[in-house]
Amino acid sequence: MDIRTVGPLLELNKAVPSFEESGLPPVPFSMRVMPGECVVVEARDPENATQFADMCSGLVPLDEGSVKFMGLDWTELHDREVNALRGRIGRITHRASWPTFLGTHLAITLQQLHHTNRPMDEVVAEAARLSEQFGLPGLPVLRPGLLSSADLLRAGCVRAFMGRPRLLLLEDPLEASPVELERAFLSALTDARDKGAGVIWLVRNNAIWQGYQQGVTSMWRLADDGLVAVRTG
Amino acid sequence: MSSDEIVDPTLQHDVSVRRVLLHLVLPLLALVLGIVAVIVIGVHSYRTTRAGVESLTHELLGAVQHYIAQEVSDYIMPASAGNVIASGMIEHVPPAVQDKVFYSYGGAMLRSVPQLQSFYLADDAGRFVLITRHGKDGKEQERTTLQVKGGRKVFHHDYYTIEGVKTGEADDDAKDYDPRTRPWYQNTAGSNEIKWTQPYLFPTDKQFVMTSSLRFKGQDGHTLVFATNISLNELSTFLDHIKVGKSGNAIVLDSKGRVMAGRNLMQLAEAAGWDPNKMVLDPKTHPVFARGYDHYRVRGFGPRSFSLNKKRYVTIAAPLPGSSEGWILLLSAPESDFASFAKQSSQQSLQFAAVIIAFSLVLAGLLIRQVRRSERNARLLARQNAQITHETGAVQQVAATPRLFDPTNDSLVLTEQLAHVTNAHRASIWRFLHDGSAMVCNDSYDQRQDAHSGGFEMSRSELDAFFKAVEEGEAFIVPDAAVDERTSQFERLVMREAGTHMLAVYPIHGAGSVMGAVVLEDANMAPHLVYFVDLVTAIAGMRLAAAQQNAPDAEHGTQSNADHAALAVQQAADLPATQFDNMLMRAPEVAAVTASGIYPAVAVLVITFSDPVVDGEAETEALLKLTNQLASDVQRIAQERKLFAVEVAGHRLICMAGCAAEEDPTAIIRMADAALTMRETLMAALAAADLEPVFTMGLDYGAAFGGPVGADPQVFNLWGQTVSLAELMAQGAADAGTIQVTERVYAVLRDRYLFRSRGAFFAPHLGLGQAYVLAARR
Repeated sequence: MDIRTVGPLLELNKAVPSFEESGLPPVPFSMRVMPGECVVVEARDPENATQFADMCSGLVPLDEGSVKFMGLDWTELHDREVNALRGRIGRITHRASWPTFLGTHLAITLQQLHHTNRPMDEVVAEAARLSEQFGLPGLPVLRPGLLSSADLLRAGCVRAFMGRPRLLLLEDPLEASPVELERAFLSALTDARDKGAGVIWLVRNNAIWQGYQQGVTSMWRLADDGLVAVRTG
Repeated sequence: MSSDEIVDPTLQHDVSVRRVLLHLVLPLLALVLGIVAVIVIGVHSYRTTRAGVESLTHELLGAVQHYIAQEVSDYIMPASAGNVIASGMIEHVPPAVQDKVFYSYGGAMLRSVPQLQSFYLADDAGRFVLITRHGKDGKEQERTTLQVKGGRKVFHHDYYTIEGVKTGEADDDAKDYDPRTRPWYQNTAGSNEIKWTQPYLFPTDKQFVMTSSLRFKGQDGHTLVFATNISLNELSTFLDHIKVGKSGNAIVLDSKGRVMAGRNLMQLAEAAGWDPNKMVLDPKTHPVFARGYDHYRVRGFGPRSFSLNKKRYVTIAAPLPGSSEGWILLLSAPESDFASFAKQSSQQSLQFAAVIIAFSLVLAGLLIRQVRRSERNARLLARQNAQITHETGAVQQVAATPRLFDPTNDSLVLTEQLAHVTNAHRASIWRFLHDGSAMVCNDSYDQRQDAHSGGFEMSRSELDAFFKAVEEGEAFIVPDAAVDERTSQFERLVMREAGTHMLAVYPIHGAGSVMGAVVLEDANMAPHLVYFVDLVTAIAGMRLAAAQQNAPDAEHGTQSNADHAALAVQQAADLPATQFDNMLMRAPEVAAVTASGIYPAVAVLVITFSDPVVDGEAETEALLKLTNQLASDVQRIAQERKLFAVEVAGHRLICMAGCAAEEDPTAIIRMADAALTMRETLMAALAAADLEPVFTMGLDYGAAFGGPVGADPQVFNLWGQTVSLAELMAQGAADAGTIQVTERVYAVLRDRYLFRSRGAFFAPHLGLGQAYVLAARR
């Protein structure tokens, strides 16, 4: 409930990312995501999309400006608070981000087990429910390397929507995904937004999100000259 | 922060630590440093002063020592110097007048120098003359000569007054006295220096006497020895009277540590049995002098400091010039005699320091108190700022709600924001029916369950006191609603179920009358929140006023609402009998379905049962029986509500109504009523069989394709988005035994039934929509 009434969920205020560290264009990025909003960011280069999501998560050093999440500047927090704050973000990444030494079930539940004191049973039940929602027969227990790419994508969705994420940084999971995933994904997305989460949906092309056009709050393009607002019909 | 989260990132530990460091630790540290500095300076000052005092004490003692040494020299001088003078006088006169010179010198000296006791003159022929004091006070003189009378050696004594007038004479036996055998005579042998004898005591007159003697030659060639007796008693008296500091004193020792002069000399002599050789320093009677003498023996002459019995003493050992060989002057005094002013000064300094420290502590305490207070105020301010932000956000949220003042649009945001801002357990908006006989809950939001409900009705007959209190138009807050007579009934009927205690009631004012009330349960009613509640109350008032204007005749008592379903069934009396498809279908009835096509307003209810777990034949039979009972119940209810058809497909039942070319407004009402009845019946049946409510229900209303399919028998089938959505609703129901409905159903039935908002959902080809749970009839 706290996030419904306070200011922007994510605020990029003339944030100039370090080019050396990220490869993002060193130009000011300004954007606001309010609770419940869904912002589509079109990024042709998946690497740039990942770096942009990293910047939103406070992982990219800035030359100037600030990135604030839930009103807190990433650079002004200590590690303990930064980690806790990052625990409020659900992410689906392009790059492989699975620990190879753990079962997928642990990788999925790890974030909730680490950041919260929810009972294990509750977390597992939620993971199992989400797994079924995203088309898995149950919570996958094999190591991520042994899952097919489609199932790994589903597991990624489960991991991103676990708990109550305040911000979703989604690097287009619908690209090259099974068709049935779309419904589950959009349903989960809508549900999260309804609970006050902000969404940044990074896509490679427009075709993917068209089915959800009415739900998109604003549209941006990540180009060499920074973030450019795109008018939506 | 979510209650589940372990770390709250919004807490700025570093800031508070820095603040504590700045506001508390630093001043305290400064204070402690100040105190330490004062103590160090005090101790240093004390030590410096003490060192100075010690040095000063030594110098003072040195000066005293010089003075005493001089006094002692002066005391002894008449003896030693007198010997030289007298011998000089006597050696140059003819032997005949030697006695005369001796007596006149001796007489003069005895009269003027009190410490001198007597003078001797003897020669190598055994001649001996003596002049000494006589009488009680020693003022008279006695002249004695060794004579031979009648073959015997006698001492002839002549007595004189102080003026030199002879007063008498006497003889006494000298026995075999020979001056040449006396120590004072013998120790001058072979020397022309002044010689001193060991002191010796005269127990009769308690005189402690020493003799100095000098050998010289007379004109007649005889060797003469002139001796002077000097009393050390006078020296002791002198030393006794000398003040060294306040309580110190002096003592004269010889080289063997025997006491020559000093305080209590006579007691010492008596204790030693009048033996001068035993008159040594006893550590028991003279502990300080004994220690000082030890220091002297080890370290030689000079000032020394030491502690004895936790007291500091200063002693100084110095040689005595002009005195007998090896005499030592020993002075002692407590250090405090000299250093007491320094001690006092140090104590004063420490007292000043203590006062300064006490003041500092008081100031530090005040500072800390002030800092704590300002911190508390800062926190309060921050909390108020956060609250203002919170309220501003809530106001924005309310303001941004589309069609806020449209009474046909449910503005759930009002109760939600009320609950959020006041942190109330439950916020609800109640309105009076136009005749004031009852109050109906328009919307009630339970923050803990995040659920809306409404439609409850309270009649004046039950809650007269509460109604009157609201109608008075004044807001009131009751900490415990159960004990207040105005609210006790309200608590029993409404609040007890939620377990709330505190009640805040804000009447909604309309044109000239009270139209309803905003009721908050277990709210945190801070004074600054009232304006937000007033704002929402005003908005609710405008909505209620608009509703009354738009539909003045909408309410005709409660019975009309209750009879909606019956009315709908009556209106549908001419409809064909219910169709039961599949196994339940009566084939000939399908003829009633005349045409296939699109039905514009079909109500579809899908009931989904979860798969039962059976173990054994008996259970299977019981389950089949139960299934049959459930099917029969559904059949019965469907017939009662004149539903169009009920289709059985696996673990699903699909009920439909309104399958006609013309739109049937009663279809959805009948269906909703049937759904509630079915839910009730099914739950009762399942409960009787000791089973959980293993079903969920989904309801949608809209256009659908339908018609009989197949040849013999023909089966009626219905499909389309409405059917899909109803299925979706059934599958995605929040909980077992609930009826989840779409936004379309809610829009049609919201006046007649109670719904809980379930939130937004997404459906393919349909997009975003709201889902509701059908709770009860109004």
